Amino acid sequence: MAHSQGWVKRYLKAFCKGFFVAVPVAVTFLDRVACVARVEGASMQPSLNPGGSQSSDVVLLNHWKVRNFEVQRGDIVSLVSPKNPEQKIIKRVIALEGDIVKTIGHKNRYVKVPRGHIWVEGDHHGHSFDSNSFGPARSTTVTHVLQKSNHTEVGCLQALTQVP
Amino acid sequence: MLRGVLGKTFRLVGYTVQYGCIAHCAFEYVGGVVMCSGPSMEPTIQNSDIVFAENLTRHFYGIQRGDIVIAKSPSDPKSNICKRVIGLEGDKILSNSPSDFFKSHSYVPTGHVWLEGDNLQNSTDSRYYGPVPYGLIRGRIFFKIWPLSDFGFLRDSPNGHRFSDD
Repeated sequence: MAHSQGWVKRYLKAFCKGFFVAVPVAVTFLDRVACVARVEGASMQPSLNPGGSQSSDVVLLNHWKVRNFEVQRGDIVSLVSPKNPEQKIIKRVIALEGDIVKTIGHKNRYVKVPRGHIWVEGDHHGHSFDSNSFGPARSTTVTHVLQKSNHTEVGCLQALTQVP
Repeated sequence: MLRGVLGKTFRLVGYTVQYGCIAHCAFEYVGGVVMCSGPSMEPTIQNSDIVFAENLTRHFYGIQRGDIVIAKSPSDPKSNICKRVIGLEGDKILSNSPSDFFKSHSYVPTGHVWLEGDNLQNSTDSRYYGPVPYGLIRGRIFFKIWPLSDFGFLRDSPNGHRFSDD
């Protein structure tokens, strides 16, 4: 009897010890380094979700690369939605601060991206809630940059003017 | 001898990683101790005060008007700012000083908040860089630890007349 009780106690102790190591390390890794997520919606077709609602893409979201909020033109990034802070949206960075963008459906034909902001657009123009709707987004709302797991290479950018 | 030193080093690295991760989880999801610098929140928070900040309210989207929050600085992404929430989304904000004859106002867009420091003369806040997205808020300050003469919950805004949304 005493032998089996000792066994249970040792098991619980080992479990707690492992738990307090595994959970914080895993949570810190998912927050600071990278995590995996499923993409929903059609705003980035055909680069992401080309199959529509039949098959959602699974992507690797890399936080470590954007820990200093440095993104390049052409990156696909995930950012906190400016209209709804509970949601994250995945769009492509079209222009960085200082660039002049030719907009599609925005109230101004040409927009200069202010300091500390970026211009993001979905690849599926017209079916995308992006900077053409809400204007330039703050670069500090960018949370992750995407690394695709499969599917075709992403296409080239729309033409834009770059101001050095 | 070498194996002993190597074993000790690995154990030390292991403990550092483990406690570092626990600290990250605590600061990110629960709260932590913060030191504030700058004059923009006087007299409520002076330069070099130490306060207690909690992050639970932000995760549950419970930030109210009048809360003092820590947010990522819109002008410098690596630093944080500490201001009071004057308006939530949809609120009408009176811009410029009340002594203006024609008061101009604007509405806070959805998903954003309007932040102002308590020390209106000496504060760079939403009057300078516009409404701040809710996603940039890191936590809410609710308790002051140091200096001990000012220990306790934080006072309401000394600029009470700014809160009207009619």
